[in-house]
Amino acid sequence: MFHRRSMLKWISGALGTASAAVITLPGAHFLAEALRPHRRGQAIVQRVARLRDLSPGRPLQVAVVGSRRDAWTLYPEEVVGRVWLVRQPDDADGGRPPRVAAFTAVCPHLGCTIQLAPPGGRFICPCHRAEFSLDGAPSAGPGGKKSHAPRGMDELDCRLVRDSHDGDWWVEVTYEKFEQGLTSKVSKA
Amino acid sequence: MIGGFLDWLDARTDYRALLAPLRCRVLLNGPSWWFTSASCLLWVFVIQLVTGLLLMTKYSPSTTSAWASVHFIEQSPSGAFVRGLHYFASHLLILLFVVHVVRVLLSGAFRPPRELIWITGLLLMPLVIAWAVTGNPLSASQKGTAQIEVEANILGSTPLVGSALRRLLLGGDDVGHLTLTHLYFLHVALLPLLGIVLLAVHLHQVYRHGLTTVIRLPFMALGKPSGHARPYWPYQSVRNATVLVVLVSALAALAWRWGAPLEAPADPNLTIQPRPEWYFRSLFELRRYFTGEWEFVATLVLPLALLTFFIAIPLFDRVCPPKLGLTARLFVVAAGLGVWGWLTWNSYARDWRDPEYLAAQDKAAGWARRARLLADRGRIPPEGAAALLRGDPKVQGPLLFARHCASCHSHADPRGEGIVAAEPSAPNLFGFGTPDWIEGMLDPRAIGGANYFGHTKFADGDMASHVREWFADVSGDDAAELRAQARQVARALAAEAALPARRDADLREPEAIAGGAALLTDELGCTDCHKFHDQGELGSAPDLTGYGSREWLMGMIADPQGERFYGPERNDRMPSFAKGSDANGSDANGSDANRSDANRSDANGSDQAGYNLLHQRELELLVDWLRGDWVEHAPEPNDP
Repeated sequence: MFHRRSMLKWISGALGTASAAVITLPGAHFLAEALRPHRRGQAIVQRVARLRDLSPGRPLQVAVVGSRRDAWTLYPEEVVGRVWLVRQPDDADGGRPPRVAAFTAVCPHLGCTIQLAPPGGRFICPCHRAEFSLDGAPSAGPGGKKSHAPRGMDELDCRLVRDSHDGDWWVEVTYEKFEQGLTSKVSKA
Repeated sequence: MIGGFLDWLDARTDYRALLAPLRCRVLLNGPSWWFTSASCLLWVFVIQLVTGLLLMTKYSPSTTSAWASVHFIEQSPSGAFVRGLHYFASHLLILLFVVHVVRVLLSGAFRPPRELIWITGLLLMPLVIAWAVTGNPLSASQKGTAQIEVEANILGSTPLVGSALRRLLLGGDDVGHLTLTHLYFLHVALLPLLGIVLLAVHLHQVYRHGLTTVIRLPFMALGKPSGHARPYWPYQSVRNATVLVVLVSALAALAWRWGAPLEAPADPNLTIQPRPEWYFRSLFELRRYFTGEWEFVATLVLPLALLTFFIAIPLFDRVCPPKLGLTARLFVVAAGLGVWGWLTWNSYARDWRDPEYLAAQDKAAGWARRARLLADRGRIPPEGAAALLRGDPKVQGPLLFARHCASCHSHADPRGEGIVAAEPSAPNLFGFGTPDWIEGMLDPRAIGGANYFGHTKFADGDMASHVREWFADVSGDDAAELRAQARQVARALAAEAALPARRDADLREPEAIAGGAALLTDELGCTDCHKFHDQGELGSAPDLTGYGSREWLMGMIADPQGERFYGPERNDRMPSFAKGSDANGSDANGSDANRSDANRSDANGSDQAGYNLLHQRELELLVDWLRGDWVEHAPEPNDP
């Protein structure tokens, strides 16, 4: 009798667990989709500005446009990111080609959009007032307060390409996103 | 009749015996105003449940529909009031929570055997906060979206599990449809379930152990129990109801007068300076003191440590002498409120002193008004409310102008307000196409000045020389007569522009316009160089036919080197912004997609559109803004 009772208890427990598993396992699977890093495919390589629209020391914000998928909606053409272009001072003798640095406008701190602080000599993130110099390095705020940014602005790969039609020089940027809040730059792709 | 029914019900359910502990509760020391916080908290919670359920009937969580559905709620009968109640009650809930915790702490109501009441109550605090955090972004407004982005990233900076928590909250890597469905699930399902469970344990414990009756602080004398035993109902209940009715009246007044805010729909193109709600301002301020890798101390460790400390207070109390314990608790309350208040005040004070922040808030408020005005006209398209501002010249114009034009042109009124070019090298376009602006062009002192051709190669060109010659040898009445003629010509040209703001003025004085046109073609000889309708020739100066009209401006910006405008030789430095565009070809939903256009067509091969700096749609928005051509009125009645 005793054996029989413990057996029945065990069976009840097992059947209950099995029933629960039918619900919970697919449930966990269903929810865990959010945890899976989203594959973005390759980074967007895009011409974002003409070199002659850039002047040394005057950063220009440009938009990167691409298709974006948001769950069930495909946006074929949207602004997917913003990039700050900073043209380096030209060589005095003009011997070297001009150099342009590209930084993503996404703040490495918490992801707000970095803006140019008036009158334009430095970058600032409006959320927590993290400041950056024009080379993207975090700089101390007023009163020597340490910057909130865990690292400098994230620099993007950037090269100058010449248009085959009119011979204009364009800035081509490889746009990527990076993890926020880390001291090192880790790509989200 | 009713009594009979209740007897019948009681015979079957025994509900009177079940409710007896409630009905027959006795307060040994009598009722107190200090006990009202618990009851009020409970009823505000109920208000949240009821208004929340009502709002659920019309809310739709997705990035395309969330803002639109919230705006629809605002337009529904009593919708703004119900949403306002829900909004203000959420703030009141947090406020009452603090009051209640202070009351319980000071009256020592956490002592054995009431530890579980204390713990479940404290655990409800983060829950209520999470409730607010998940609720604020549901409107998919600029502010709410920016807040949840930052909050998710704060969560993401938690060591080890941060990234997983962040993804669970957002439903993926970025804010999108799934963020709203996840937040909605948390806000209306999971958190209420958890809350009700915690609340059930909390209330069960309250009934099991009764209310604390000891209140011995001198300054609590106002609501001090009389010391005579009284039943809870109605002696305490009437006090509860009195405070509740005051609070509900305040809620109703706030909801009626102001309602819940609705900022502009979120759009990554319109950047704002997001700030947390008031209850997070202290943490926001605190993190100023913890930078870099120590930031999670402010955002995670300290709040959790504080919660743990409060939960452990019954333990500390046990080892503390009673007199010292009371002093310690008073100190905790005073220090807690003091530090909280100081941090909060500092944070607000810093923002109020920051003109950039205030300007950004003004701008965001303007976008919000604009979005609501456009939405009021029932024009939210299928792609969602964000399209309202993306297709609005008044909002997009200044952004496009700043991005594409302001390296040379200013757009600033006579007081210098507006968009001022860093190094102006072309005319100030404020008021372009108005009689005043054109008159300045015909003024010998102005045409070579900074607002017109001063910084261009036309400063001493044919046009400027002509204007100076006209006025060179005249004086007195003749000069006045000449100025009047210039004014008339300006009127005639402004009629060509047909700016919306000038429509009525132009209709009123057709003779003046005809007179100006006659002067232009005959007496003043403008058509010696310019074409004007069937007079004059193209090739030496810009066409004055339709000068400043939408079509003229679009052509001018698209290709100033075109024959109709300055031509390839005479053009100064103005680039062609849309040389390859065909007038009606492009689709109308691009916001600033020009560059992708450039790249795509470039990759395709030999499409002239590859050199477009402005998308067709952007060109239209820019021109409509320059011409002041945008929707500016209250809703049209019965507008479909």
